[in-house]
Amino acid sequence: MTLGSSGAGSSVVVPRNFRLLEELERGEKGIGDGTVSYGMDDADDIYMRSWTGTIIGPHNTVHEGRIYQLKLFCDKDYPEKPPSVRFHSRINMTCVNHETGVVDPKKFGLLANWQRDYTMENILTQLKKEMAASHNRKLVQPPEGTFF
Amino acid sequence: MASGGEGAGNGESPPAAAGEAPAPAGATLHIRCANGSKFTVQADLAATVGAFKEVVAGSCDVPAPQQRLIYKGRILKDEQTLESYGVETDHTIHLVRGVASPAASGAPAAASPLASSTPSSGPAGGLGGLFPGVGAPRSGRPSGIFGPGFPELEQVEQHLSQNPNLMREIMNMPAMQNLMNNPDLIRNMIMSNPQLREIMDRNPDLAHVLNDPSVLRQTLEAARNPEIMREMMRNTDRAMSNIESSPEGFNMLRRMYETVQEPFLNATTMGGEGNTASNPFAALLGNQGSNQPGQPATNAPTPGSESTTGTPAPNTNPLPNPWSTIAGGAQGAARSGPTSSARTGATGGLGGSGSPDLSSLLGGLAGSQRSGAAGGLGGLGSADLGSILGGSPDASFLNQMLQNPAMMQMMQSIMSDPQTMNQLLNFNPNARNLMESNTQLREMFQNPEFLRQLTSPETLQQLLSFQQTLLGQLGQQQPSQDGNNSGSATGTRGNPSLDTLMSMLSGLGSGGGLGVPNNSNVPPEELYATQLTQLREMGFIDNAENIQALVATAGNVHAAVERLLGNLGQ
Repeated sequence: MTLGSSGAGSSVVVPRNFRLLEELERGEKGIGDGTVSYGMDDADDIYMRSWTGTIIGPHNTVHEGRIYQLKLFCDKDYPEKPPSVRFHSRINMTCVNHETGVVDPKKFGLLANWQRDYTMENILTQLKKEMAASHNRKLVQPPEGTFF
Repeated sequence: MASGGEGAGNGESPPAAAGEAPAPAGATLHIRCANGSKFTVQADLAATVGAFKEVVAGSCDVPAPQQRLIYKGRILKDEQTLESYGVETDHTIHLVRGVASPAASGAPAAASPLASSTPSSGPAGGLGGLFPGVGAPRSGRPSGIFGPGFPELEQVEQHLSQNPNLMREIMNMPAMQNLMNNPDLIRNMIMSNPQLREIMDRNPDLAHVLNDPSVLRQTLEAARNPEIMREMMRNTDRAMSNIESSPEGFNMLRRMYETVQEPFLNATTMGGEGNTASNPFAALLGNQGSNQPGQPATNAPTPGSESTTGTPAPNTNPLPNPWSTIAGGAQGAARSGPTSSARTGATGGLGGSGSPDLSSLLGGLAGSQRSGAAGGLGGLGSADLGSILGGSPDASFLNQMLQNPAMMQMMQSIMSDPQTMNQLLNFNPNARNLMESNTQLREMFQNPEFLRQLTSPETLQQLLSFQQTLLGQLGQQQPSQDGNNSGSATGTRGNPSLDTLMSMLSGLGSGGGLGVPNNSNVPPEELYATQLTQLREMGFIDNAENIQALVATAGNVHAAVERLLGNLGQ
């Protein structure tokens, strides 16, 4: 059941809660391509808003071997609207604000052209690809273990 | 720390087994490496991450100090336990080879749990309120959201068992009798109660009795008629005291109690509402003094009789009659439904003669289903719907009840048989009159499609709410009923509501124009209005899709949700 592939053919709109529960399970079980990890911050938040994601730096880049932590915030209008995404670990990337670590939706295509069936996993994997993109892979990075 | 790593492989897990309460069962965890390879390890969830790393190190080439474990987006810290991160069996943990050994700066996850988490300060209404299961998301899978249990049913059951009159009224309904005449149905009911089933498995004799339709019928007959009931009770009571006075008799009784009645009671008072009548014997004995509930065996030799203690002769004293309505307040409370029935259950099993009583017990046991059946059938011409409702005016329980799979199945099995339906209707004089004066109606009732429609939760609900309002105007009989249970009033009570219902039904028939399955003219949006609202509140906003799902599932919200979600997979 890949959410991303259901496309326009499916007219069913999955409610937020069901959707987030499914994402939670995928995160716990490691379903998906397995290069990213994510889960809920506060298991008691019935709205399931705060999430933590982790991206393992892609090979053959300056990011290799690094672990980047991100904060994702799914507001009540998720998945109609994209979650707000920001890096917790310091990173030097074109689409990431250097002061706050926030991923700039204008510079990150997936958020700019958000579709309802995109998931947080999509965001994280796309960010990982972005790290390996030519304009990011060689950038000088702040020391590991520092945070925004 | 590292020393604990070894034991995790099998069930023993020595370090944690010592004192911790949570079972240190080994969990199967999947480890996913950064290079895409995967392997599985067994681990004790109570162990620390540091210990766990040793276990992992045994299965891969990354030494423990270099491991970075990531779970649900968090980097696991050595000193915390796997449990504290919510790791469960079958979950996946990511493994990355770190560059350096954990230096002073190497507690990267320190701040992670805090950050921007905004504790649930949002408006309390909204979606979340509808999803109690979501509060603990790990357990709150969609399937769990609607929960298998319908707590309200228990309320009904309790209410019923504390109000013998209500019981009797229900028993009096033709629908009920018809039900009772159907052994399969009863068996189903019994079997659907796991505790009861267990008892029956352990006591084949009992199972035999419970499976015998004539026994059930007899019992019902008795339960229906207070006179017979009372006599029966007296007889069994006397028989019991006779047995008690014979040598070994009491021991036999006691064994009986232990093997049969206790489990039975456990089944009846499942919810553990032990304050009233969780142990009927105790309740009875309570009149005589302060006997321990749950320890009837240690009591003086004669439970339930005041004078036999020393005398070997048969006891001729009339024994306390649990059905007596004159009983004092304290007694009255204690010896409502379960009391009497459970007690007779014991004797019934004992003597083999008291079988009729047994099924009044059964009645009590099957209380939930029973009332469900009553509710469902009530819509079709029996009267006491209102009194059930009047008893516990929580309208939502009905809804849930109607969506109880067992309930639906039962109703379906009744409805699918036109013969049964006819019989049912003919049983009731009012209904018969109505039928005779209105052939269209008869035709209607014989149309299975209409019946299906009629029994859809939605329709029943509407009927109920309608009836409830009417009943409200017809005088507050129900509330007063609890206080003064005068058995004689029982028979007549149902009639006003019956008439109402019947007139409503006939109105339904003629209102739709020409008889037959007029309900199908009602647009599904109206028919399933409440279900639609529910779905919308859950977040299913596509009305057309919702309606389609509801139509396909005949208005069952639960099934509709599954259907809606199931669509995704295709």
